[in-house]
Amino acid sequence: MSTQTLLPEGFSGLEPFVTGWALAGSAARAGRRGASTPEERAAFHAAAAGELPRALDYLDAKGFAAFDDADERLMNLMLSLGHVALAVEQQKDAEPRHARDRAHMHITRTPAGA
Amino acid sequence: MNSPTTFTPVGQDELDWLGTDPVPTRPYYDPEWFELEREAVFRRSWQQIGHVCELPENGSFIRRELEVLGASLLITRGKDGEVRAFHNVCTHRGTILVDEEAGKRSTFSCPYHMWTFGLDGGLISAPDFEAFHVTKAECALPQVACEVVGGLIFVHFGKPESSLREWLGPYANKLEMMPVARATTFSEYVYDINANWKLTYDNFQENYHLRFIHPSAAGPVTSPDNPFAYPTAYDFHGPHRSQRIWTKPDMDPPTGVQAMAFQRGAVCAMSDGILGTETAKDYLGLFPNFFLFGSPMQHFSHTVYPIAADKSRGVIRLYWIGEDETPSERFAREYFMATARDVHTEDRAVIERGHKGLASGALEYLHFQTQESLCRHLFNMVSERVEAYRAEKEGVPA
Ligand code: FES
Ligand SMILES: [Fe+2]
Repeated sequence: MSTQTLLPEGFSGLEPFVTGWALAGSAARAGRRGASTPEERAAFHAAAAGELPRALDYLDAKGFAAFDDADERLMNLMLSLGHVALAVEQQKDAEPRHARDRAHMHITRTPAGA
Repeated sequence: MNSPTTFTPVGQDELDWLGTDPVPTRPYYDPEWFELEREAVFRRSWQQIGHVCELPENGSFIRRELEVLGASLLITRGKDGEVRAFHNVCTHRGTILVDEEAGKRSTFSCPYHMWTFGLDGGLISAPDFEAFHVTKAECALPQVACEVVGGLIFVHFGKPESSLREWLGPYANKLEMMPVARATTFSEYVYDINANWKLTYDNFQENYHLRFIHPSAAGPVTSPDNPFAYPTAYDFHGPHRSQRIWTKPDMDPPTGVQAMAFQRGAVCAMSDGILGTETAKDYLGLFPNFFLFGSPMQHFSHTVYPIAADKSRGVIRLYWIGEDETPSERFAREYFMATARDVHTEDRAVIERGHKGLASGALEYLHFQTQESLCRHLFNMVSERVEAYRAEKEGVPA
């Protein structure tokens, strides 16, 4: 069973962000937030935040057991969105300094896989 | 919409028994004082060291390093299901027995001369043992007192004066009522910090700093009648203490991705039956170095492990019931972990700054206000124990 598209049907608008943000592992996703530029974060958040409810509904309906590669990528993309949203919605201008301090906090375990 | 002014801070009269004097700074950075704390505080207290979900099956084990006592611990779940703790030290000639951080085994063999121990610490076999002048029974791994309350594993390196449950008093029941007692997994992040363990710990038991250090997180939780988000109550039991977190009655609802995380997370917490519990606003500080916050959505523990007078390690865990059952649950858990990590990031930076200033020796005293009484209580509890130990050592009555 090969997946021709990067993301499940209906989510192709997010495909430009797959390479940069659909990362496996909580620590890698947090690290990507820390290493990103304000422009990257803004573009990803603007494109993805509105799709979050629909993406989670779609993935919930499917269930982990039935995930294919495209579903997995969509999941990881949304998990990264959570990290990026903290920068865009909460930290805002404080994010660069925050990122430096945050590097001391090492994620060692999560149910999703650290 | 403005809420009526309802908040009344805890009054000083209720806290007078803790004293109001300035507090000497030396105990917060002095290496000699730290040496005394190792014995007076850490060898004589129950210490939180793990959770039973880390030992899911008979034969599961974890290794834990406790720098403050220079100890390496092996914690096992035996064939009988019992959780036991041992010094991770081979009884032949002292080699550290187990290297892995965690796993599942039925025996542990020392790499040096192959002495082999069981999950109950007993010496099972040793090559050419007949040539020794000792019995196998005398060669069991040295056991460390170990008890579990609310799923949390505690160890005691000395001779406990009371059981863990007695020591915790009413807080034992609270632990049993919190989600941690039913947790099966957790998210964890860890930080090293160049600061004394008490300074580090103190940061997390006063709210005075919230609006300055956590401007984005604190904004929504403060109000004109409680601009510092002080708690609604303090409570003390022996060396332990707690506060009841105040929540702003007319808090603006979250927006954006945060709103979605709260919404999805609430559904999961509801299905786990942990919403609206009595302990949801309790923030427990168990002596000497452990916190647990009862919040069902961000149910985190925080242990501050001392390493040296000027070095500590913080371990934060968000405890969860069940694996991620749905993608929404996975999303909410990752978001809440990242949120807590953001807040703790801000704390870590300012604590190091505090240690540096105190360690310069510029100040003889520091000052705690009424709403920093939990910090004062920790200082009192530690210094009582250090003074008693010192007197005992010098053979003079305390
Ligand atoms: S030191 Fe362990 S077997 Fe010799
Ligand atoms: Fe803080």
